[in-house]
Amino acid sequence: MALKTEEMVLNMGPQHPSTHGVLRLELELEGELVLNVRPHLGYLHRCFEKHCEAMTYPQVIPYVDRLDYLAAMSNELTYAITCEKLMNIQVPERVEYIRVIMVELQRIASHLVALGTFGLDIGAFTPFLYCFIDREKILSLFELTCGARMLYNYIWIGGLSHDLHPDFIRLAKEFVQYFKPHVAELNNLLSYNKIFIERTANVGVLPLEAAINYNITGPSLRGSGIKWDLRKNDPYSIYDKFDFDIPVGKGTFGQVGDCWDRYFVRVVEMEQSLRIIEQALEQIPEGDVTSALPKRVKPPEGTVYARTENPKGELGFFIVSNGSLNPYRVKVKPPSFVNLTVLGELCKGCFISDVIAILGSIDIVMGEVDR
Amino acid sequence: MIKQYFLNTWSGIWTVLVGMKITFKHLFTPSVTIQYPDVKVELPERSRNRLYVNMDDCIGCDQCARACPVSCIEIETVKSVPGDEVGKTSNGKKKALWVTKFNIDFAKCCCCQLCVFPCPTECIKMTSIYEFSEFERDNLLYNFATLTPAEVDEKKDSYAKLEAEKAAQKAAAAAEPKPVAAPAPEKPKEESSNN
Repeated sequence: MALKTEEMVLNMGPQHPSTHGVLRLELELEGELVLNVRPHLGYLHRCFEKHCEAMTYPQVIPYVDRLDYLAAMSNELTYAITCEKLMNIQVPERVEYIRVIMVELQRIASHLVALGTFGLDIGAFTPFLYCFIDREKILSLFELTCGARMLYNYIWIGGLSHDLHPDFIRLAKEFVQYFKPHVAELNNLLSYNKIFIERTANVGVLPLEAAINYNITGPSLRGSGIKWDLRKNDPYSIYDKFDFDIPVGKGTFGQVGDCWDRYFVRVVEMEQSLRIIEQALEQIPEGDVTSALPKRVKPPEGTVYARTENPKGELGFFIVSNGSLNPYRVKVKPPSFVNLTVLGELCKGCFISDVIAILGSIDIVMGEVDR
Repeated sequence: MIKQYFLNTWSGIWTVLVGMKITFKHLFTPSVTIQYPDVKVELPERSRNRLYVNMDDCIGCDQCARACPVSCIEIETVKSVPGDEVGKTSNGKKKALWVTKFNIDFAKCCCCQLCVFPCPTECIKMTSIYEFSEFERDNLLYNFATLTPAEVDEKKDSYAKLEAEKAAQKAAAAAEPKPVAAPAPEKPKEESSNN
């Protein structure tokens, strides 16, 4: 009979490189075994939702950027779509195409950070650097278009702040050609590395039923083996015009829904995003991107909810308007926050080193968890 | 069992070698980092950094301050009196206001560019200057107004004098025909304050 020992409580974070921001995890340990994990939030709380009530609708956009600051374009798109739904604005075709290109580039950039830091957490330092080189190229494209590298304020309600730079299409096509072999390189370097597989396969298995019960969305849900992507299942913008596949976890090296599956779904998603970008760059029409911008954003009274597929999962905005210039209420449904709730369930009974792998594989951004 | 053990060992060695080959190839790719203070990246023309205000063109309309989500722009204006020559903007608009205060607090500014778009004379712009850190936060408060404090006082005084003269004239005009009516002198006062 094993000796009954007292449980140890260990605080991981908030200043810990592997918690991806200021997240504090309270681990209940028995030796190396994790009995329970309790995430503590609120270290990055900035009163986003309350603060929006004091802002006009366009002024909220710079704050929206700061939710998931690794995928600011996607947040802006969701907010813009929500306000456009409320105001019944039809945006020009060219705007839709540019938005899709930007958001898919942003998805690649966000996944590159997710994959790079995931490898970094587990001990692979090199892929992190290579991922950041590629991400840098995407950020340069964004900088060329709107002048900012991370917090863009580019997608506005009813249009865009700038038209594309004359060089953008050429540079974006060059990037697509440049990046394609790099996905294969990442696979050889990290995905199929035996040490990496040993650390991630069969670790933190998230069964499909649990994933649905916890309302997990995004790559973490698809890693558990279900084809659920809002771009296909509830198409917004012009995603129904493009041909792309939705990757799901297949349990290649272990059970379906383990850390490796969640990781690999992101890798394949980057390839699919490249396909979308290629098609969009070919089909993009000419036009004026500022023609549908309203002079004053003053939506009618009412409530609206719209959701999009962000790199991290399903992001939704619920806006209550009382017909004035400021929103009466803005509620965010953040994917990172919802995905974080499953951490305790996943970490039960695993080793303390696996907590890092599991946390990295569900890919959270604290800016969005705390808001 | 033993076979599996050796297969695992082999794949462990092999996949690491595959990775090493990639890192070895990257040894011969050109470096992507730059020696920052000595070498600087060339910023694109749309880059958004420190704001600049061309005060010759500013008409003091306050639209940039209203668009700012962090309220980092502070503008105060005084109306010009007849005879004052405030000047013209470069696109030919005649200015009617003295801009006595135009402060931008770059400690607050989030470089969102929302202030640039509503400007009717395109006098507030994003520049590509990004090296303006300070040891004291107060030094980040930039004052763009061109008037000296003495000039500001002068403009304020002359406008107040004009107002007082106008109010006195109106009061006298209103008081003359009906000297008995009590609420009559009140009314012009309200009007003058609205002006």
